[in-house]
Amino acid sequence: MAEIKTLLAVFVDIDPAAHAIDKLRELGVKDEQMNVISGIPVTEAMLGRPRQWTNVPRLAMGGAVAGFLLGVFLATTPLLYPYYVGGQALVPIPPSIVVIFEMTMLGMLIATFLGVFLDSYFPSYSPKEYVPEISDGKIAVLFACPALDEKIFEDAMTALGAESVKVAEAQKL
Amino acid sequence: MSEMTGSLAHAGEQHEDPRVEHLMLDPKPRGEMNAMVMDSMLTTSWKFWVVAAFLAVIVAVCLFGAWGYLIANGMGVAGINRPAYWGIFIVNTVFWIGISHAGTFVSALLRVFKAEFRRPFTRAAELMTTFGLVQAGLSIFFHLGRVWLAYWMFPFPNERGLWPNFHSPLEWDFLAINTYLLASTMYLFLPLIPDLAMARDRSTSWRKTLYRILALGFRGTEGEWTHLRTAMSIFAFAILPVMFSVHTIVAWDFAAATRPGWSSTIFGPYFVVGALHSGIAAVAMVLVVIRATMKNMKYFIRPEHFDALGKLMLVVSMAWAYFFFNDYIVQWYGGDKWTKILLDFHEGGPLNYVWFTMLICNLVVPWLLLWNKKIRRTPWALFIIGLLINVGMWCERFVIIPLSLTINRMPFTWRLYKPGIEVPLGIGTLAFFILLYMLASRLIPLVPVWEVQEGQLAHSLRKFGKEAVVTVSDLE
Amino acid sequence: MDLVKMAKGEEELQGKWGLVIDQDLCTGCQACVTACAMENNISFVGEEDVAYGRSMHWIRIERFWEGEYPDVKATPFQPIGCQQCGHAPCEPVCPVMAAQHSESEQINLQVYNRCIGTRYCANNCPYQARVFNWRDWDRPDPLSNQLNPDVTVRRRGVMEKCTFCVQRILRVEDVAKSEGREIKDGEVVPACAQACPADAIVFGRLDDPESRVSKLTRNSRKTILLEELGTLPRVTYLKGAANHV
Repeated sequence: MAEIKTLLAVFVDIDPAAHAIDKLRELGVKDEQMNVISGIPVTEAMLGRPRQWTNVPRLAMGGAVAGFLLGVFLATTPLLYPYYVGGQALVPIPPSIVVIFEMTMLGMLIATFLGVFLDSYFPSYSPKEYVPEISDGKIAVLFACPALDEKIFEDAMTALGAESVKVAEAQKL
Repeated sequence: MSEMTGSLAHAGEQHEDPRVEHLMLDPKPRGEMNAMVMDSMLTTSWKFWVVAAFLAVIVAVCLFGAWGYLIANGMGVAGINRPAYWGIFIVNTVFWIGISHAGTFVSALLRVFKAEFRRPFTRAAELMTTFGLVQAGLSIFFHLGRVWLAYWMFPFPNERGLWPNFHSPLEWDFLAINTYLLASTMYLFLPLIPDLAMARDRSTSWRKTLYRILALGFRGTEGEWTHLRTAMSIFAFAILPVMFSVHTIVAWDFAAATRPGWSSTIFGPYFVVGALHSGIAAVAMVLVVIRATMKNMKYFIRPEHFDALGKLMLVVSMAWAYFFFNDYIVQWYGGDKWTKILLDFHEGGPLNYVWFTMLICNLVVPWLLLWNKKIRRTPWALFIIGLLINVGMWCERFVIIPLSLTINRMPFTWRLYKPGIEVPLGIGTLAFFILLYMLASRLIPLVPVWEVQEGQLAHSLRKFGKEAVVTVSDLE
Repeated sequence: MDLVKMAKGEEELQGKWGLVIDQDLCTGCQACVTACAMENNISFVGEEDVAYGRSMHWIRIERFWEGEYPDVKATPFQPIGCQQCGHAPCEPVCPVMAAQHSESEQINLQVYNRCIGTRYCANNCPYQARVFNWRDWDRPDPLSNQLNPDVTVRRRGVMEKCTFCVQRILRVEDVAKSEGREIKDGEVVPACAQACPADAIVFGRLDDPESRVSKLTRNSRKTILLEELGTLPRVTYLKGAANHV
């Protein structure tokens, strides 16, 4: 069984990182086996990476629906326990719109927030592959390669401008 | 936002070096900027602690002490009476909610419109939102006659079948303000996560533990950035209707009532624009203080930002004037006799100096001074103008609430309002706001460095003929 | 669009219990104010607070005058308390539903132990009929012996207002029910009507066309306060006798 090693190559700028990713593809690393970690959001288009899927918009819609239903419930509770105030109807439309709107927005925003947590598996305090230089604006390419070819990959990355290439160790962040 | 460093009409003038003028054209290595922000957070002089201690004493006495006295003795120690059943407590509530709208405006509206100058101070503004809403909430609690039962406004199942009344504008307030508080805190936290990760990587001891926990294990993977930016995008668009609705609902507390001068249909947008007016002025004030007192902030906050904020303040003051005049002329022209008496009372009554202060500070001061580019770019001048605008807006709410409540349809009940314990409690909320802000500046990085770097990468100088022109690319 | 037709039904428009106050008979003696305070356990506020607009009286006598001295003409006294509006503006604005409408008695209720003291209802009352407990005023012994056991004693932080002496209404209804008969006209007498020496205050059933109150509401001198607001008050005033001094 071929041993697989995970290497971390740190680049200073976007262009070398983009070339490096092309090179990795040439060397046979599949897109799913690569990950890019960066200090600022670098779009997938800039690096030639496949588009990242995210559930956050769908979760936001789901939250909006849940909030809407909550708002409808709150606005229609007088049907369960009728009370008449100020000669207004039991469930008047204008106040109901206010309540339903607020609860819909609340639902959507809470769902969006929690969606980030859910999709990113936050909070997660287990050891991870990371180097602190990343928050200094560097771009790190994390990839899996056969252990036997480690030197080839290392040389290729360094030739394209990697600041450092080392075995990725999962460490406490 | 493409901005010419000098128009072709001034072709003969000497141009300021664009690198000095624009933060976005003056990139430093990210590591250096990170170090500057961390340094600014960690370097605390003894003067800071003196001011913080002073504020803490004021908070203890004027806020919590006075509040305890108020609860024990009843609303009689405040200045409220019949017919002015609402007084400075509600004025302060509306004032603080207005201040809190500044944060959302800067963070969300400017983000949606891709106004690049917002980048260094979105977090400073968002902190104002959260802390401002805390003060607004406190002011609401102050004004309740039986504050220990305030939780009855929350709909919870109970044995007695009791439920809050969703026909009431105060209940809509309860829902809207809580929604806004939660939403803006979440919106503060999301862009903060990458900066907390940066702080985690550069801290030791208790700070490292704190940031490690708060950063939630963020690394900056593609997935994490995508989820974060999608969420921030949704928040930026969605929190705008929430922001508008919150202050509109607060305005409806007054507009839904049957009082002369209050049941004005324009109160909704009038209050929103008023909130932006006082809020943006407050952002300018806070930025002046941050720039003057915190290390390295002169790099991040530059005269260009004050220039932009000053222009905004001028435009919003014109918008405020439009809504004020709309409200005024309609009441003056065709209002009933009670509204007429009310307007005469505003202008000629014993407290008319408040009405005049409002007009001078909200209109005359900005319109005379903010045209001038040099004044806009001078921090201390903008601070004074911002302070006067906030005084004017506070006076506006005073005119609308206790002053207008004095006149109603039952002349036998008319009585002037004279504040009591509201004064120390109001001072207490101001001290609490400043204290919370100061403590936050020691605990979280105040400048969103990743956003600044993102902006700097997107900006470049390009030659158009002989002119070097700033260009921004859309990095989305 | 007829406001009248928009009302839910005849009962809501007309009401059940009603009050008629004859301003031409009222002498401004304040006996009604005193009697109401005794009947309803109203606190003694003190001169300073009253001067600042914090009197606790559920009914107040408003007096005005016309002209300049020495040609001053006194206008009729106006006793005014809660008008028990059919479409009460105070009701929808209470966030915790302490201001309610009684469907059975067609009056406006204030639930003291639900009130959290936001005072929105007081702001919204066009008649300024509501009063607020600004403090816990003293009631030194033996004054506490005078308290009416049928009426709650209110603490600080709570709104209150005239209830048409609802405790007396309920007591009479109980008695009539236990005796198996209808309530007679004039059997329910609120404290203010009981004390008035000029018999200027009359109370009774508005939905009974033969009751004394109903007949008075059809009087030619009848006027409704702030009628244009559409609050449908249950209190009618009689004003306009030519021979008023």
